[in-house]
Amino acid sequence: MPRDASTDKPLVELVNVTKIYPPDIIALEDVSLRIYKGEILFLTGMSGAGKTTLIKLICCLENPTRGVIEVAGRDLSRISPAGVQRMRQKIGVAYQEFRLLEKQTVLQNIAMAMEVTYASTKAIHARVDELLALLNLSDKRDKLAGELSRGEQQRVALARAAANGPSLLLADEPTGNLDPVATELVINLFRHLNEKNGSTIVVATHDPSIYAETEHRVMMLSNGQLSAHPNRAPRQIDLFEA
Amino acid sequence: MQFLAYILRQTGKNLRQTWGTQVMTLLTVTLSVLIFAFFFLIYTNMIRASQRLGDDVRLIVYLDQEVTEQMRPGIEKKIREFGPVEKIVFVSRAEAFSRLSAQLDKEKDVLADLGPDFLPPSIEVYPLKNLHDLTKISQFSDFLLSLPHAAKVQSGSDWLRRFGYFTNLLRVVVLLSGGLLIITMTFIISYTLRLTVLSRQGELEILRLLGATSAYIRLPLLLEGMMQGFLGSSLGLTALYFLYQYIASRFSGPGFLRLFDFAFFPVELTGAILLAGVVLCTAGSLFSIRRFIRI
Ligand SMILES: Nc1ncnc2c1ncn2[C@@H]1O[C@H](COP(=O)(O)OP(=O)(O)OP(=O)(O)O)[C@@H](O)[C@H]1O
Ligand SMILES: [Mg+2]
Repeated sequence: MPRDASTDKPLVELVNVTKIYPPDIIALEDVSLRIYKGEILFLTGMSGAGKTTLIKLICCLENPTRGVIEVAGRDLSRISPAGVQRMRQKIGVAYQEFRLLEKQTVLQNIAMAMEVTYASTKAIHARVDELLALLNLSDKRDKLAGELSRGEQQRVALARAAANGPSLLLADEPTGNLDPVATELVINLFRHLNEKNGSTIVVATHDPSIYAETEHRVMMLSNGQLSAHPNRAPRQIDLFEA
Repeated sequence: MQFLAYILRQTGKNLRQTWGTQVMTLLTVTLSVLIFAFFFLIYTNMIRASQRLGDDVRLIVYLDQEVTEQMRPGIEKKIREFGPVEKIVFVSRAEAFSRLSAQLDKEKDVLADLGPDFLPPSIEVYPLKNLHDLTKISQFSDFLLSLPHAAKVQSGSDWLRRFGYFTNLLRVVVLLSGGLLIITMTFIISYTLRLTVLSRQGELEILRLLGATSAYIRLPLLLEGMMQGFLGSSLGLTALYFLYQYIASRFSGPGFLRLFDFAFFPVELTGAILLAGVVLCTAGSLFSIRRFIRI
């Protein structure tokens, strides 16, 4: 459900952000972006366009070379390390490379996100079961994460990101390894979080099928520069539908 | 409350993940505490013993001639002129003999063949309690030798001197083993903690990404060091206590130990050693947490 962008205060705001990886790889160049509370934003672009970099900047995994990033009105460059940790508890991130602990079970992996907020064991179990049911992974609860298929691991990573009912969910390529049925489950999870929880959701993807029919905003990164998506890539959709 | 439960559970997890090393660490801590406390126990007992020995220092002047009643006040006056004394006791040949036979009790038959005159008469001089200085005692004994009819002065100062040397040596040993204790404890703990951190590196990284606070990550490690310190010191002290009991039961009776009245540490000192163990291990873990975890 799109919000009226002009009246809301942005939850995330990037002002003229440039990110240069040493020695001189320009990942993002002069990017300005406002992400509003309750919004679902799709971030597209070719491989190497800077999508992951943008997400890492928002959750403080990388620092911008130039420019200002504000999350919930706070300048990230001025937040203390403890403040960053507190902020991360409210931001769920599903990493492109999952970052699961392979030697721990699915339950343990997801529970970790809630344990750091000192949630009760009961609440953790209830929440994990709920999320696994939504993602059709209920039978994998006690399997080791390393023994799952890529597509299953991807959904576990998403479940972990969603576990705390985050105010901001950053999903980096969340459907890269999924078939259409599983993709549908993920999209439903986003919708569920967005509607029930008011979560703001940023999805970085180069899979046009998940934003093809959306009424939400779609932005495109190319060569580190951000622009509105040119008509949501109609040609690509044509190709798929042909 | 939930916080505490997490910290404890996390600590348990850490211990389980590296239990082999944890056991080795515990043994090392136990052993260092045992070694240190062992020497320290002997040292404290020596100190106590030397104080008690100092309390009944007496100088015995053996005479080659019996002192008559009339001569006694003169001699006494002369001694007191040299320095203040607690008391002076004149022992005649007869008195010396009856003392000895009282001491021998049942075996006094051995004295039957010896006449009551075979022991020399003597004067026992008890210096004031403050005369613990060995040089003063030897000056005093030189003076006593110059008394008329004095044949020999037994001051026990040689013995005291040797005892003093031994106590000093022991003090060095105690200091060395104390130093060793500090080094082994802090090093072994920080080494073990490093292993814990390394074995959990992947997990710590993820925790950082998920927003774990520094307390959430550090407290379990700190607790781990604390527990090692507490358990290790307790085990070391308990082992020493049993060792002490064993020795005391084996060598009790009228021997060396009875003489020294060998005793275990008082409760306060036991507590202090325990506390020192805990503090050292906690310091060791703090040290390595600072070094190996940057959150
Ligand atoms: N840690 C890094 N050090 C150096 N260069 C980097 C680093 N991370 C990313 N880059 C470079 O920055 C650019 C943007 O990378 P980024 O990972 O943001 O792209 P992406 O849009 O996420 O691509 P993909 O769709 O393949 O995931 C790329 O050219 C990449 O090589
Ligand atoms: Mg990427």
